[in-house]
Amino acid sequence: MLPTPRLTDARILVVDDERVNVVLLERILEQDGYRNVKSLTDPSEVVGLYDQFEPDLVLLDLHMPKLDGFAVMQQLESRISRDTFLPILILTADIRPEIKRRALSAGAKDFVTKPFDRTEVLLRIQNLLETRFLHLRVRHDTVPEGQAT
Amino acid sequence: MWRRYGDAFYTLLTLAVFGFETIALGALSLSFLLGKATGIASTPVEGILLGVVISTASALALLGLYLLSYHFVSNLRDRWQAEHLDKWTEWWIGLALTGPGEPAGHAPDRRPLPRVAVDSVLSLLEAVKGEEGDRLKEALAGHGVDRWFLRRARAGHLTARLDAIEGLGKARLPHALDPLLGLFHHARPVVRRMAARAAAGTLAIMAPEPGPDGPHARFIDAIKQADLQPGVVQESLLLLETRAGPILRELLADPELSDSLRWVALETIGRLGLADMAELAAASGTHPDPELRAATFRCLRRLGSVPEAAQAPLLGAVDDEVDFVRVQAAHAAAFVEPEAALAALEPRLEDSSWWVRRAAAASMARLGELGVASVRRAAESHPEKAAREMAVQILLEADVLTPAAARLATGVA
Repeated sequence: MLPTPRLTDARILVVDDERVNVVLLERILEQDGYRNVKSLTDPSEVVGLYDQFEPDLVLLDLHMPKLDGFAVMQQLESRISRDTFLPILILTADIRPEIKRRALSAGAKDFVTKPFDRTEVLLRIQNLLETRFLHLRVRHDTVPEGQAT
Repeated sequence: MWRRYGDAFYTLLTLAVFGFETIALGALSLSFLLGKATGIASTPVEGILLGVVISTASALALLGLYLLSYHFVSNLRDRWQAEHLDKWTEWWIGLALTGPGEPAGHAPDRRPLPRVAVDSVLSLLEAVKGEEGDRLKEALAGHGVDRWFLRRARAGHLTARLDAIEGLGKARLPHALDPLLGLFHHARPVVRRMAARAAAGTLAIMAPEPGPDGPHARFIDAIKQADLQPGVVQESLLLLETRAGPILRELLADPELSDSLRWVALETIGRLGLADMAELAAASGTHPDPELRAATFRCLRRLGSVPEAAQAPLLGAVDDEVDFVRVQAAHAAAFVEPEAALAALEPRLEDSSWWVRRAAAASMARLGELGVASVRRAAESHPEKAAREMAVQILLEADVLTPAAARLATGVA
């Protein structure tokens, strides 16, 4: 059986074109004990970093210049195998229902509206990571020894 | 960058250079003309020409030097700005996350805060709320930034005023609400617009207080009394986010509400997807103004829900005398019980308006198997060619029919 990793060991990727938001999220995560946090203000670098870093969770802004959050999710979709659960948490100031629907159908797993509450963000991150690790464990347990990736 | 700093000086310099060149070239042209007319030797003209060339070259050199130094200084300034912004951001985040007691290092030792510090904290306030946001607001007030913004929002140059209103909107300070509401009556539309946005953003984080003196009631009064464009009101109501519901409820409950505000309220309910307000919105479905009837049905369509009491008026409106009302009613009919909806929609396949025919066929196709069967029947055997064509089009778009099958079955493709 795969040992359950500590949530604070999770690899978290933050993508937001506003540097202030990125620093804020980094500090919030650091303060809560997360040690593997990487961030980007240029969304065109997401795919490259995703391959290297293999995050357990992506915190993604929706409205960014050049490449928006929808396009980033589309790019990531081709990198993520169908049986992988990679949670994407959207951080956006846009609360329109159609935007939510569009993002959810593009692969987002949860939403936090800006301005956000620190406790709410941390709880949502925790929930998504728990689901991610449970999924990894189920996947590991069902794949014969030596075939798990 | 070019528009931010030094553009006044740049404009003056360019004007001076080109003005000088114009005068010189004018003089040169005149001299040539006079020389030609009077037969004067060309030597003085050559002198003028030489002078003009030298002065033009000097002017262009000066301009080039200015451009180069401007780029250099701008880059330095931007780098300095970015470094300071990072430092201040770290400092404010430290303050927000560590609680009471200012964090060490880079403490603001002077009042007022530099602009970069204010920009940094305003950006943070757009990202974080709750205890952390409150700490940042307290720090802003401690440095007098709120009072400074309020002073500038009430008086001074238009640009400074708009900048201050935008700052207040980002800071979302509850005590700035009333001054912002006061600006709803400003003579300049742009000030009214910015104030409405800022007030709505502020109200969005304030707890509702019932009663006629509460902030929400004051906001409603201000909206009703001010001369605001419908688009501005709608934008403000959308910015209220989760706090919009009670305000929209109160607006729609007012029988004396202006038609334009009622229209805005209906549009906002639909856009925010406030399904619990469908019943209240549906009450405007029989309004004498066709724009309001159409807005009501558009709202119900966006909500994806038609309250039982509104179903009969809605199905009646599928046959409204105004075509754009029929279009919206036909779209919303997709959310009514299928048999009743089909009875109202089927005759609309023969409507004189292409948009109504399309809305009717599209809604029929969304009414489950019964609806799809009706559209298919219309595609195959409706006596009107326009109805058959529309039914085929909708079936093709819904992938119910392939183009080849459509040709075979209906002769329409």
